[in-house]
Amino acid sequence: MVSGLSTPSAKTSLQALNSAPATAVAAAGPCPDPKAAVRIEHVGVSYPIGKNHRRTVLEDISLTIDPGEFVVLLGETGCGKSTLLRMILGQERPISGNIHVGGSPVSRVDARSGYVPQKYALFPDRTVLGNLTMGPETSKYHILGRLLPSFRAFRREVREEAYRQLNHMGLQRSDANKYPHQLSGGMQQRVAIAQALMMKNRVLLMDEAFSALDPATRSSLQRLLRSVWSETRPTVVFVTHNTAEALFLGTRVIVLARTGREDHCGSRVALDMQLPTSGMSLRGNGQEFLDLVDHIEHFSRGDRATTTADPELEATTPAFPTDGDPL
Amino acid sequence: MATLASSANPFDIQARPNRLLAQALSCLFFVVCIGLYMHTSASRHRENPEDRVVPNATQLAAGIHASVLEPAEEDDYIPADTASKWERFRHSMIVKDTISSGRRFFIALALLIPAVLLALHIGLFPWFGAGFLRFVLFFDKIVALSLLPILFIVFGIDEWSKIALIVIGVAPTMILDVTNMVKAVPQEQIVKAFTLDANNFDVAYRVVFRQVLPQVINSLRLNLKPMMLFLFAGEMIAASDGLAYRIAIMRRHMGMDVILPYVLWVAFLLFLIDVSLRILNKRLHPWFQA
Repeated sequence: MVSGLSTPSAKTSLQALNSAPATAVAAAGPCPDPKAAVRIEHVGVSYPIGKNHRRTVLEDISLTIDPGEFVVLLGETGCGKSTLLRMILGQERPISGNIHVGGSPVSRVDARSGYVPQKYALFPDRTVLGNLTMGPETSKYHILGRLLPSFRAFRREVREEAYRQLNHMGLQRSDANKYPHQLSGGMQQRVAIAQALMMKNRVLLMDEAFSALDPATRSSLQRLLRSVWSETRPTVVFVTHNTAEALFLGTRVIVLARTGREDHCGSRVALDMQLPTSGMSLRGNGQEFLDLVDHIEHFSRGDRATTTADPELEATTPAFPTDGDPL
Repeated sequence: MATLASSANPFDIQARPNRLLAQALSCLFFVVCIGLYMHTSASRHRENPEDRVVPNATQLAAGIHASVLEPAEEDDYIPADTASKWERFRHSMIVKDTISSGRRFFIALALLIPAVLLALHIGLFPWFGAGFLRFVLFFDKIVALSLLPILFIVFGIDEWSKIALIVIGVAPTMILDVTNMVKAVPQEQIVKAFTLDANNFDVAYRVVFRQVLPQVINSLRLNLKPMMLFLFAGEMIAASDGLAYRIAIMRRHMGMDVILPYVLWVAFLLFLIDVSLRILNKRLHPWFQA
């Protein structure tokens, strides 16, 4: 990985990478469940604070994410959901436990995962088309391979696919030659999603991808993402702290919450809840939707911890509305 | 509170001069300097009509004529009486000196390319960073001019000592500057590139280098003057041609009528290179907004 990171979050990632035992992931054996898109086993992570102290962020997280699931990681700020996402991505290594994506252990960032961050999602020096075609071109042809005659035909195909993706994302063909700074925030995120979809990665990781957008754009992108997911069923892990967004987008909501206030108390899975695959929304049965929001937020505050398949929740979930707009 | 348009207080942060006034203000200090010079020159020439310290317009014109149309004293070339102005200009003192200094300057500029690539690797690859960063930080603190005697011993007093002085003077600062630019590339971009199946080479040269290149060019623009400064230092101490050599020679003869046009010529050349790099940057990187 690289050094010299400017943003605080990036610096934290680097510190974690440097401080984590290098053998933690490398020692992981074959995935016990090769069919799982993502398998997380007893993962823990902590960061050094001061000379003799460490702050535990995550402790003993175990999850299995099946192919085609839309999993939303939910929790309050600082609960470690983005950290968990970065570990699935390979950007950080856990102190304990191991993570498999597509049946093999994660030791570094690679093309198994697609990534849509909140900011800096696009390369500013490339046009929209350049951003979309970069992945497939890099993947298939390295620098000298581009001199081969077959590259031109491949490039044409990739460009056609890029135009199709643009159209799918509600962007015009004329937008293809624009630079990212010429696009609005919402348009940039549409392109970022298209860019990730062009690669057909095993899992698409989205880190608060819509958080910086205004409510209207956010709502429209949520609908778009939901519709793209319904059509192609990629495996998505979406991090948000917005419970309504989680309920609208996800087929499964995982709530992370800290187990105590002390530094040694990290976050655990407080709630792991399946939702209807057709999605949920406020429209139709608003009060029940809001009740569920309250219920989930109760868990995310760490007031109560439970494991997967709470019978009470499983009984109530299917009764909620399944179409319409998010909050 | 006064409106932006109506306020004429120069100490009001919110007051803006109109376009015409702004243009006039930008010329003001040029006019003041020229006026002061002419006044000083005139008063000195009243006391001593042969004064050479502050040459008047006639002396300056003669100096410019000698620089632009006459060969250097040490040259064997003697223009024929029938030689055209272009022929005289081609063999003139200023052209000869500009070519000599320019050659040194551009060779040094070319030698900065590996320094930029080293900076890219220091900023991006932890192994390079661990190996080079402290060394470059230390090297940056060495006063380049203090190395000049060593350079003369090692490279002799010919071209390479002066070129080495420029490179040693500018490269460490440039490396640190570019390293910081590389480190400022958002981590998200690098991670994203890896998820798009980019290898290390792709990330370094097709993602990070492309993004920092316009800033590298801007850094180069800021380093033009230090580069010229080191070149002048070398040329003034040991050279047989070059712009600074000529200024040093003319100083001995009190040749202010040649020195002043040379000083303005050097400033103009630097301005020209700076503007060319700015235009190049804008053309090559339309996405870069700075």
